[in-house]
Amino acid sequence: MANTDLDSVEQYDAIGTSPDRSDAKSKATGRAVFIEDMHFRGMLYGKVLRSKFAHARILSIDTARAEKMPGVRGVVTGADIPVLHGEALKDDCFLARDKVRYRGEGVAAVAAVDEETAEEALSLIDVCYEELPAVFDPEEAIKPEAPLIHEQLGAYRHAPGIEPISGTNICNYFHLEKGDVDKGFAEADLIIEDKFTTGMQQHCTLETHCGICLIDDDNRLTLWATNDSPYRTRKEIADALKIPQINVRVICAPYIGGNFGGKGGLKAEAAAIALAWKIRNKPIRVLFTREEEFTSAIVRHPSVIYLKTGVKKDGAITARAVRMYFATGAYAEKGPTITRFGGVSGAGPYNIPNVKIEASCVYTNRQLSGAMRGYSGPQAAWAYESHMDNVACKLGIDPLEFRLRHVYTDGDTHASGQEIYSEGLKECLEKIGERMEWGKKSLGRNRGKGVACMERAVKTPFGSAAFVKVNEDGTVDLLSSTTEVGQGADTVLCQIVAEELGVPFDWVKKATPDTSTTPYDTSTTSSRSTFHMGNAAKAAAADAKGQILKLAAELLKTNADDLAIKGGNVYLKDNGGSSLSIAQVLGKHFGHSATVLGRGFYYPHLEVPVEYFSTHMIFWLLGAHGVEVEVNRQTGEVKILKVYAAMDVGKALHPSNCTAQLEGGVSMGLGFALYENFIFRGGDFLNPSLLDYKIPTALEMPEIEPIIVECAHEEGPYGAKGIGETTNVSLPPALANAIYDAVGVRIHELPITPEKILYALKQVSEKKTQQRADADPATVGNPFGGKK
Amino acid sequence: MKTIMLTVNGEAYELAVAPNDMLLDVIRDKLDLTGAKKGCDTGACGACTVIMDGEPILSCMTLAVRCHGREITTIEGLAPRGELHPLQQAAIDHNAVQCGFCTPGWLLSAKALLDGNPHPSQEEVRTAIAGNLCRCTGYKKIEDAISAVAGRNQGVVKGKNRD
Repeated sequence: MANTDLDSVEQYDAIGTSPDRSDAKSKATGRAVFIEDMHFRGMLYGKVLRSKFAHARILSIDTARAEKMPGVRGVVTGADIPVLHGEALKDDCFLARDKVRYRGEGVAAVAAVDEETAEEALSLIDVCYEELPAVFDPEEAIKPEAPLIHEQLGAYRHAPGIEPISGTNICNYFHLEKGDVDKGFAEADLIIEDKFTTGMQQHCTLETHCGICLIDDDNRLTLWATNDSPYRTRKEIADALKIPQINVRVICAPYIGGNFGGKGGLKAEAAAIALAWKIRNKPIRVLFTREEEFTSAIVRHPSVIYLKTGVKKDGAITARAVRMYFATGAYAEKGPTITRFGGVSGAGPYNIPNVKIEASCVYTNRQLSGAMRGYSGPQAAWAYESHMDNVACKLGIDPLEFRLRHVYTDGDTHASGQEIYSEGLKECLEKIGERMEWGKKSLGRNRGKGVACMERAVKTPFGSAAFVKVNEDGTVDLLSSTTEVGQGADTVLCQIVAEELGVPFDWVKKATPDTSTTPYDTSTTSSRSTFHMGNAAKAAAADAKGQILKLAAELLKTNADDLAIKGGNVYLKDNGGSSLSIAQVLGKHFGHSATVLGRGFYYPHLEVPVEYFSTHMIFWLLGAHGVEVEVNRQTGEVKILKVYAAMDVGKALHPSNCTAQLEGGVSMGLGFALYENFIFRGGDFLNPSLLDYKIPTALEMPEIEPIIVECAHEEGPYGAKGIGETTNVSLPPALANAIYDAVGVRIHELPITPEKILYALKQVSEKKTQQRADADPATVGNPFGGKK
Repeated sequence: MKTIMLTVNGEAYELAVAPNDMLLDVIRDKLDLTGAKKGCDTGACGACTVIMDGEPILSCMTLAVRCHGREITTIEGLAPRGELHPLQQAAIDHNAVQCGFCTPGWLLSAKALLDGNPHPSQEEVRTAIAGNLCRCTGYKKIEDAISAVAGRNQGVVKGKNRD
């Protein structure tokens, strides 16, 4: 189904060029408006009192003293808004009721004339708790004796396809089988088993979460927010408060200061809504502090993943079994669908005849885990790609060669049963191999090379809509609810409209998402916008263009089919000289009172029954990383010499934004691989600040070689797929594989700290000494019996 | 409250500030110069960077009362008459802007660097912006933008460079 001749035939004006981002100037001048720059007359400021216990019953809350404090306009607790919200599973409260389930959970909120007053009033609220036993580790939490975090799990409303197990801490169990794994393992000459784990990572968007909510006496709610998906949020609010969707208006801030999946759902919004539900007719702002970002927003799911692979001596893979645990924290958030996607991709992008995958989403008494760049891709790829090298090593086969032999290709069947199409993964690996001079160039002592690749599902099937308004002068407004979170969506969508309609790029402007004006979009997530909203915007532009051509055909007394638009001018295809501007066409027809409205809606149709988060995808995000490292054997420190980052984007609509995503993904992947982690001592969380939780600075960044692969998708706009979500995914295992190549140690737990490397080196050296003592020269220097 | 004199982007202000008011809050809330951002409020992210008497400072960690008589440049002062500073133009040309929340901060760190050292090495460029966290770009295009302006200072002509 790959449409490889798309780009060779067409000549584009806006597509495939890299115009200045439409938001670049306002951001470079500091004029871009973010939510913290927005103020409303009479606005109140909200602050949230947070639980100091990981798990405790709330015996009483006394707000009387806080309410009497001058400047305080109201105090709200869970009892004032006794409803549940959530996306796939509705288990979350606006403020805790009856018990708290993590340290940092909101227990009460205060609205006051300023933030200082609200903060001070929090100290006047008295809460009596009875502490309960807590559980933090997902494998502990699934034991029958573990404390139950949600007693009502069986009663919660949830989406189809989500399987909570009542009476346990498992809020979704996903299971997938292909072929017969027992038979596959029986046929194997060798079975290799591994366990891998990942820690917590936080999005660390430079802008923190914020919601400003106003609810009037008629239950009409307006929410201004740093939210990535206004329609999804509107639905969640309307469902929870049992009010019609038309009464909920979600308006995104003009610009959102970073997202990476972190700004979906109700975070700061929940407290703002709770306050506004009680204190009517006043806009109330809740802006998270940086500490709240760490304690009370969301994090990437910590995971424990077991892999078992059966192989023949010649390198054929006969079977793979995968068991995955995703720790979702105290509330499900997006955990159920993250687990589903992690499960679908658990065996990796390989053609394996017999596969069994089990994935569990497990409650713990930690902060919520949710969507974060890659969804569950980074955890899954960390495991299957570290494991692939381990398997290759055991077989004595080169790891890149081993991957190229097994990576699936068009016509193969995915573990989900879907036939693979538009696969550009092999090309990503081959290009990285070429650039790294794989197998040719040696880097020297204590240096090594590693590769890893990945697949990630794009959420399917979900719709997107767009309107195009052509103005009297021919300029164009694009109405779309895709949010500009830094990824460049505004720019690429305007490019698509400009291309399709035939107007200059800078004639097109995208409106700020607002559910009362911009049409439906499910979400700005999953790297779905270029493909889904791109198709909607393209269809809307084509619709508007058709109408303009029809009007022009009447004026020029010809057929619309004989006309085209370029540079904002309608011209006869046979005679480029005779042309009318769009403004002239509208003016001659309608005088000074004219517009043309185009509409577009895209929804992917698959040949499988419609499911909530289908296991068959309209496209797969595919990519690979190559890493060259040097390891210091004395300190355990890793110096990254160079990173090669490749993604199959289908068609690079804005090549510079593609490389920007590839580079940014390296930074986030490196942080996850090497140092980002939450440090806990029992229930206490020790590093909730950017001073103690380090993300990469300019000094940590290695040289990066971005590689764009274009394997066009026949249904994508101009062949495009997506990119931003997964440019971090395969970096950590590529790095671990390079470390193994350099010094022969395999790290199983992220992050790869110097301590872990030193410990592993020590173990290898002790093993060597032991082996020397045992006088068995055959395996000296090799912890796994392979090539090192 | 205490009265301080402050010159911001060339304009003189007489301001009444509380002893615990931070410079960031004063320029954002009292002067409506909202280009400087509050990303952490603990001096860790650099989004609040402004230039005081030629030096880049963290305005969220600077007490306003300590700024009496000082001269401040914010991002709004970089392009006073709608013209772009070469660094701003380079940020656009090199596609160094994504979400934009950190952009004013690193632009001011870069301006302070180039004002004092027109020919910085790449390492000096990286060190100058090491206090400005960016979660979007991976810093490569930011470094390219600053280096292009530094290169022009050296007479090296670097045009629009999009890979």
